[in-house]
Amino acid sequence: MTRVNLVLLLAVVLSAIYLVRVQYDSRRLFTELDRAQVEQRRLQSDNERLQVEKRAQATPARVEQIAREKLQMRQAAPAITTYVNYTEPGRVGGER
Amino acid sequence: MSRRSVQYTSSPLLASRTPVWRSKFVVGAIALSFVGLAARAAYIQVIANDFYQRQGEVRFARTLELPANRGRILDRNGMILASSVPAPSIWAIPDDVETDTDAGRAKLQQLARLLEMPYADLVKKLDEDKTFVWVRRQVDADVAKQVTALDIKGIYQRKEYKRQYPEGESAAHVIGFTNVEDNGQEGIELLFNKQLVGRAGLRHVIKDRLGRAVEDVGEVLPPVDGRDVQLSIDSKVQFFAYQKLRDAVIANRAQAGSVVVLDAISGEVLALANYPSYVPDKRQNLTGAQLRNRALTDTFEPGSVMKPFTIGLALETGRVKPTTVIDTAPGYWTLNGATIHDSHAHGALTVEQVIQVSSNVGTSKIAMQMPASEMWETFSQAGFGQKPQIEFPGAVSGRLRPYARWRPIEQATASYGYGLSASLFQMVRSYTVFSHDGQIIPATLMKSPQPAVGVRVFSSQTAAEIRKMLQMAAGPGGTGPKAQTQGYSVGGKSGTAYKLVGKGYGSDTNRKYRSWFVGMAPIERPRVIVGVMVDEPSAGKYFGGEVAAPVFSDTVQQTLRMLNVEPDMAVQPKIMAAAEEESF
Repeated sequence: MTRVNLVLLLAVVLSAIYLVRVQYDSRRLFTELDRAQVEQRRLQSDNERLQVEKRAQATPARVEQIAREKLQMRQAAPAITTYVNYTEPGRVGGER
Repeated sequence: MSRRSVQYTSSPLLASRTPVWRSKFVVGAIALSFVGLAARAAYIQVIANDFYQRQGEVRFARTLELPANRGRILDRNGMILASSVPAPSIWAIPDDVETDTDAGRAKLQQLARLLEMPYADLVKKLDEDKTFVWVRRQVDADVAKQVTALDIKGIYQRKEYKRQYPEGESAAHVIGFTNVEDNGQEGIELLFNKQLVGRAGLRHVIKDRLGRAVEDVGEVLPPVDGRDVQLSIDSKVQFFAYQKLRDAVIANRAQAGSVVVLDAISGEVLALANYPSYVPDKRQNLTGAQLRNRALTDTFEPGSVMKPFTIGLALETGRVKPTTVIDTAPGYWTLNGATIHDSHAHGALTVEQVIQVSSNVGTSKIAMQMPASEMWETFSQAGFGQKPQIEFPGAVSGRLRPYARWRPIEQATASYGYGLSASLFQMVRSYTVFSHDGQIIPATLMKSPQPAVGVRVFSSQTAAEIRKMLQMAAGPGGTGPKAQTQGYSVGGKSGTAYKLVGKGYGSDTNRKYRSWFVGMAPIERPRVIVGVMVDEPSAGKYFGGEVAAPVFSDTVQQTLRMLNVEPDMAVQPKIMAAAEEESF
């Protein structure tokens, strides 16, 4: 009887310690997950910000200015344009 | 010395018998204290459980708000027109900030430099007797990082978002802007505020001593981000239209100007710009003139732009043919005591020529053959005086008085566009009648590339005849030859009006004008309708054909090129097809 009790006591103590361990692990992992999620959000908004900045660097105003001043380009007038008709490959018997 | 013997086995104290009640009393007292403990435990665990649970939660549970991102505004090609980016706000607990030590002051000076504010201002803010002050709201993310690096005690950051408008001033009137709380205040930002704002999420967590979230409690309510709004605006067309308009307004020393570009097939607004404009990110010292979305909110008498509708009605009802001759000599016509003038005397003109040279007398003579009710009906169908069919903050309906109250002279003046008013946008939209084979189509600011379904106003034959007249008007011998482009056939009508100065139209020395041009291209199968208005040109030129038509021409040229429309007129090619072997 005493032996069984001792075994059961041991089992309870072990299980309690294990529970503490699991609880600790779960909280640790949760914190990590949380941190990762915060990081994800930060990266997302960074990405958004960079997209906007990229766009701001490529506005028509800036493109035109650089094309004209730095690259010495000018607008293609119809007189120096050849127009070709293009049919999408998938569309058989499209406009010609 | 006598030694006193102590007998430990018997104590005189124990010799007397303890009364029984004492031990019972002790037992009773201990039992009572246990009862007390049990009662207390029962109270805490059962009766006042809620209270203690709540108190516990207050100490470790936190409710976090998960902010939702405001949706973006995109142009038809998915280019960003407006987007929210993080812009932390810097705040402080003034008492916690060290201002006494040299080191503390040095850091604050660095902070002031980073935030681009005078050091004195910063100190003044920190001197206030409050527990919370904003130091600066919505700084750039880079600056915020540097502020974090400074690590000043008592200075904190709060995550906030700021709207960025990469397109700047060219699209400012269409897009509008938001306030510091990220709520739409103008334009599309206001109109679609409901769609653009998301719903913030909530999350209950348990935090440990170090402030880390260790456990979620209950359900997490995820944030719902605002939806993106995709406009029909093409940012390139928008920019070029704005640029040309701005150049024209400055060159003509005008007060203001507007330009509208409409896709003639789908009814989409490709560009809508006004000058003067503003940079939506920097809104200090804004004036009302800059904020005004003139293309939609300013109405004026459409003048000659109305003539095609009068003539169209006459053609439609078979009262005249394009070749019918109308005598406009001697350049004026007196009707019930009032006289209608032409700018030049023309003599006998065909109906086509009436439009081409924009004869008021000719148009009036044709109009007086028709009942006022029919004219009113046609004008209404074309959208004049009607509720603005486009939803936009501040869009106006213009004015078209009921025909029952028209006197004959008013019917005559209405036929050439006086006595009624419309916004530039309404005029541009009304011209879809001619571009869309006699049907007026709804205009929209949303991307909707399908061909629009319209309401018939004229037959397609009438529309084609009017298009031909518009082409003549924009050609040599017409009123707007400067509207011509390279390679694309154009048609359109110019307008010039005196503005009210005081109580009249001013005298020859101080007259103020408004000039505009509405037209379409390519004329056989129109792709775009463009309307240009320039307010108070004062550099000598003031006719619509002189001031507004060149902007029309440039805008049409650029827009059609960007839409990959092939020129419909012969251009002298300046390139030689190189006979080169291709190797693929």
